[in-house]
Amino acid sequence: MAIKASEISDLIKSRIEKFQSTTDARNVGTVITVTDGICRVHGLADARYGEMLEFPGNTFGLALNLEQDSVGSVVLGEYKHISEGSTVKTTGRILEVPVGRELLGRVVDSLGNPLDGKGPIKTTKTAPIERVAPGVMHRKSVSQPVQTGYKAIDSMVPIGRGQRELIIGDRQTGKTALAIDTIINQKGSGIKCIYVAIGQKQSSIANVVRKLEEHGAMDHTIVVAASASTPAAMQYIAPYAGCTMGEFFMDNGEDALIIYDDLTKQAWAYRQISLLLKRPPGREAYPGDVFYLHSRLLERSARVNEEYVEKTTQGKVKGKTGSLTGLPVIETQAGDVTAFVPTNVISITDGQIFLEGDLFNAGIRPAMNAGISVSRVGGAAQTDIIKKLGGGIRLALAQYRELAAFSQFASDLDAATRRQLELGVRVTEVMKQKQYAPMSVAEMALTLYAVNNGYMDKVDRKKVVDFEAALQAFARSNHAAALKAINDKPVLKEHEAALKKIIEDFVQTGAY
Amino acid sequence: MADKSTIARPYAKALFGVALEHKKLGPWAQTLALSAEVVSDERMKKVLASPLIAPAQLADVLLEILDAAAPGGLDEQGRNFIRTLAANRRLGLLPEIAALFGRLKAEWENTADVTVISAVPLDETLQRRYAEAMEKRLRRQVRLHCKVDPAVLGGAVLRADDLVIDGSLRGRLERLAAEVGQ
Repeated sequence: MAIKASEISDLIKSRIEKFQSTTDARNVGTVITVTDGICRVHGLADARYGEMLEFPGNTFGLALNLEQDSVGSVVLGEYKHISEGSTVKTTGRILEVPVGRELLGRVVDSLGNPLDGKGPIKTTKTAPIERVAPGVMHRKSVSQPVQTGYKAIDSMVPIGRGQRELIIGDRQTGKTALAIDTIINQKGSGIKCIYVAIGQKQSSIANVVRKLEEHGAMDHTIVVAASASTPAAMQYIAPYAGCTMGEFFMDNGEDALIIYDDLTKQAWAYRQISLLLKRPPGREAYPGDVFYLHSRLLERSARVNEEYVEKTTQGKVKGKTGSLTGLPVIETQAGDVTAFVPTNVISITDGQIFLEGDLFNAGIRPAMNAGISVSRVGGAAQTDIIKKLGGGIRLALAQYRELAAFSQFASDLDAATRRQLELGVRVTEVMKQKQYAPMSVAEMALTLYAVNNGYMDKVDRKKVVDFEAALQAFARSNHAAALKAINDKPVLKEHEAALKKIIEDFVQTGAY
Repeated sequence: MADKSTIARPYAKALFGVALEHKKLGPWAQTLALSAEVVSDERMKKVLASPLIAPAQLADVLLEILDAAAPGGLDEQGRNFIRTLAANRRLGLLPEIAALFGRLKAEWENTADVTVISAVPLDETLQRRYAEAMEKRLRRQVRLHCKVDPAVLGGAVLRADDLVIDGSLRGRLERLAAEVGQ
């Protein structure tokens, strides 16, 4: 970015003019030890928990351990220039990050500094990274959907605005792909997205950003990146920073979606900090408060009512609810959901989407295990048409799984069982969906209607995917108006005839 | 590893209690300051750290030095205190104990030590004004210690324990640099 010399001098001039030189009285301490980004500071008797500490060289730290004679703190960023005897000052401030619409389309670090080389971010507001979640009186139950664009998810484990739905699975099972597709599908829905990348490779983050840009999804997205090479402290605070940026939209009566990818690595970073601070290790060497680490974060995802929005905006926004939907990601090791962090996060969230390596390798993508994936509150938010059509899908799959195991032992099966098995196979096939190809409600309804009402029974099981693709293409080119009508008012009763007509037209004329 | 002053605190508290009971705060402060200086000596540090010397011997060595430095400065209680420290191998903590004792004493006497660092020596009136201002703020009797450091450039830095009031030109320039550099 090129700045003219005159602009620089203007900038400096305005800074100097704004500079208020007050004689400040501050609490001061001296560094005793510096080890792996952890500083033990003697003195600082007035430091508060979680307060920002000022180290020499414009470096800041976070006071995390308040002991009798010393303060244990983590340095946010580079710590090589801090040595024994360096003076540390209290600032009287809790760690804050910039918030606002200006952040949309940008890639920032855990402190809100730009990483994308697109110049400074001109935000006017900041907010503390730790905040108490909205209370019971300020909340409203989940009633509007977040469309992920995946048939399997929107029909079987629907997500509502303000819900917390966990995405859990082994490495390489499509967790991030699911999250990214969800962001892409929010284009035009008004939902602002925040993607928090924690402990990931820089190359993966760059890849995600590029894909979002390619699909025009960066305009409504903020990426908070704390890659594997950033200090543990930055990885630890990244989700809180992202959450604060998301809360800004919630507080202003808008809807936002935040993805924490992934909280396992954040727990690792926190474990590292805790062990270096000499907090006693517990199960799997995590500190005692690792549950609280995630519960206080996920509790901040909420749907807030009109009064809350009116109060936080001082009456500027009236009659609007706000929401922050949370999609935390957890990586399991060899499918072990009984490990410490997965069980914790499963119990905190309002449901989970379970991705399995075996399904993924069998070509069933998204590799969601429909049996153990649930959404505890999303049903109330589902659109009418998907709710009615999706009910049968879940049941068919459940019965199919039961019979599939049973049928392996039986040589000849009665007609009813065979029919059930055939349907199960077709439903499994039809639930497959490519990456970067999110579907609208109408498109989903069309597919679900076709499989539910036996239009695919005569289709060879290997041809089901082709049949569906051809059906969708046919509907898009010949019945665009009908699809639009469904998207505008997704009620099954009004559109059942239209759906039927599209499919029957296709069966008569279409080729696949 | 616990902090040195964490270990020193119980000793300092116990000693303060004894000194208060016998109204010997002043003499004790002097003794502690002296012994702290002795154990801070490099040669003495080596002796203290040596595992070859028995604790009782260490106590004797230290007591001999103290007697020579300030004859009659130590009574029986003082000797016992040094022996207790030696028996627990805590003679090395004497500087911390002295500092904590000093702080307890200042708190009890309602006084505070304030250091003023200025670029040029302060005259009487200025010193008095600083002392008065600090007395008002800390609500304590203030003992003013003046230091001259040309690096301050102008103004003064006041220091009372952890509290630092930076009214120096240098501090202001540093803050300005941080502001502009952002």
